[in-house]
Amino acid sequence: MTPTTPSRRPRRAVYLDYNATAPVRPEVFKAMRPFLLGEFGNPSSVHVLGQRARRAVEEARARVAEFLGASAGEIVFTSSGSEADAMAVRGAALRAFESSGGKKRAVVSSPIEHEAVLGALDMLERRGLEIKLLPVGADGTVVAKALPGLLDDSTALVTVMHANNETGAVQPVRELAGICRERGVVFHTDAVQSAGKIPVDAREIGADLLSISGHKLGAPKGIGALYIRRGIALVPLIAGAQEKNRRGGTENVPGIVGLGEACRLSRAEALDSSRYAALRSRMLQEALKIPGSRLTAGPDGVLPHMAHFCFEGVSGPELVAALDLEGIAVSSGPACSSGSPEPSHVLLAMGMAPEIARGALRVSMGFATKEADVERFLQALPGVVAALRRVPAALRP
Amino acid sequence: MSRRLAVVAMSGGVDSSVAAALMAEQGYELAGVTLKLLPRLETGFGCCGSPADIDDAKRVAERLGIRHYVMDLSALFEDRVVASFVRDYASARTPNPCVECNRSVKFGHLLALARAWGAEVLATGHYARAEGGKLLRARDESKDQSYFLYQLRAEELSSVRFPVGELAKEDVRAKARALGLATADKPESQEICFVPNRDYRSFVRTRLGAEGAPSAASAGGPVVDREGRPLGRHAGYIGFTVGQRRGLGLSGGAAASYVVAIKPETSSVVVGPEEALYARSIDVKNLSWCDGGRVFPERAWTRIRHRHGPALARLERLGEDALRAHFKEPQRAPAPGQAAVFYDGDLVLGGGTIENAVSCVAKKDAGN
Repeated sequence: MTPTTPSRRPRRAVYLDYNATAPVRPEVFKAMRPFLLGEFGNPSSVHVLGQRARRAVEEARARVAEFLGASAGEIVFTSSGSEADAMAVRGAALRAFESSGGKKRAVVSSPIEHEAVLGALDMLERRGLEIKLLPVGADGTVVAKALPGLLDDSTALVTVMHANNETGAVQPVRELAGICRERGVVFHTDAVQSAGKIPVDAREIGADLLSISGHKLGAPKGIGALYIRRGIALVPLIAGAQEKNRRGGTENVPGIVGLGEACRLSRAEALDSSRYAALRSRMLQEALKIPGSRLTAGPDGVLPHMAHFCFEGVSGPELVAALDLEGIAVSSGPACSSGSPEPSHVLLAMGMAPEIARGALRVSMGFATKEADVERFLQALPGVVAALRRVPAALRP
Repeated sequence: MSRRLAVVAMSGGVDSSVAAALMAEQGYELAGVTLKLLPRLETGFGCCGSPADIDDAKRVAERLGIRHYVMDLSALFEDRVVASFVRDYASARTPNPCVECNRSVKFGHLLALARAWGAEVLATGHYARAEGGKLLRARDESKDQSYFLYQLRAEELSSVRFPVGELAKEDVRAKARALGLATADKPESQEICFVPNRDYRSFVRTRLGAEGAPSAASAGGPVVDREGRPLGRHAGYIGFTVGQRRGLGLSGGAAASYVVAIKPETSSVVVGPEEALYARSIDVKNLSWCDGGRVFPERAWTRIRHRHGPALARLERLGEDALRAHFKEPQRAPAPGQAAVFYDGDLVLGGGTIENAVSCVAKKDAGN
């Protein structure tokens, strides 16, 4: 039997899940292409092919640095945003722990971090470090004024994300970084979701460490970067001479070139978030007409390209599948934990009731999103929500 | 272009894999759904929704080129199926979790969900036939699962398809192999899916203990004969089923070989001779009729457990939601809590839950 194509839907598919991943931008693909084919050199090689690869890597590093308001020597390439997070959190905490003879053994974070950070914190806890979490308000942001009370001589690191990947709530990272800087505590921020959506300038934020990911920016999957402020030392995650002994492994030259180009494009576009403003306000206006709907965070103080809703009496995964059957790709939470029965840890940390949190829907736009995509989504949404609510309450958990 | 969407429940087993393939051949656009019914379970035991089974279902969906979704209904499953299973055993009944799962989960929530998604039909890998709003036995009598489906009524049956119900098991496997489906040679799952190692006795005990209700069910009690004379002790009546012979640890001889009744009110297990197991009639409650109850059948071939050769019975109505089935020939060990399902040939008329049985041996009521 010949496998049939998964979708026989007549209409163009609508993609509104840019927080999960984005397509590679055509300019990015064009820039990468030579390095997947003829320009295959290893940047560490002596010969000229290697030298050309090395030059491409260093040019890309300069682009990423410009994008993040850093200097090129402060950028280390990784395989992903998650690796950048793990490298920063484990690397900085273990470095402080070891160089202080075990005195610096506390890490301060928040309960709304991405799994990459939460997982690194778990690992540190098993190593005997102590994890302290900042409180989170109903608006989805951490309470910055609680930070001084959690800091003391034992603090090895503070890590709080720049913007939340589910709700889009932008965190008070400048304030947090400022408090840390005053006390000489290293501050990391996970900027995977914010980069390319709002200004991400490492110096302006005052971060010592900052992670980004390529595939949220129009570069391919499998490439990320960590900003490491000059003077900050980390215990490496992967040993090796590459990246000035900071990250072993032969450089992913095509990915690095792609990330450089994506950063160049993003910077050149100067983050024109007004492009999203009209689309999002249209989305909020229509979606919030649905009875029993609510906006989880914002509209102010969240990433401009997205909206997160909760619909009462609806299960998020069932809603996402229903919309997928209409040819509309959205998500209920982070793609990495979809299929999980539990309401999102982020929404619960905001104090949301589990029965509300289970009706979560995340809609996120990107460079290729058109007005027609948003209209298609808004056309389908009320009917789909109403249909799912007809599942008898007696047959719901 | 108007599409014809079918939702296929894909457990990760061979039957539902082939059901999906057959629906695709009929020209439906398919959405495969695997239900995750057991939360936080590292390894399953050949049931719906263990990680390995979800993986198998995904591989089959990929092979067939159809969409596939995993839907977590573990909270509903726990509430409707597992909790009532435990409750039933605690009150000395022999529950039938598959019936309840079909009613609440597969043809309850999932069917409603399929309709909400705009699907024309819901297909499953059950061995049965749904034709013109009627439920029929499978062609392969040895695999027939119609007993577990009696609660489907015409309104559901019109939206349900059982594509493998027309096939013999070996044909299903052959079809799966021909299509190169990863599940072609997967072993059958027959035990209760949520009970590890087939040990439902310790499962129920653990659950009752965890709920902080160390009831009479898990405490010991007397083993008595039908006249109430004590013969020994048992360590808790959970797991005893009417008709059971093993595990009594008695030396009472043939006169006390079988469990003939369990009496939760005195925590006693009543034993007796084999002939005391035979029932002339049973009382059946919580009736469900496939035709909605338009015609009350005077006589029906009655199945009192899965794989029981149906026995002819006269049905006597006892009010709105109960009946007494009088068997032409006495039937061995009807167990309260199990389903009684009524057939007219291949046609399933409906069924209900066995409440009690009236023994053939005149002296004592074996049930009640």
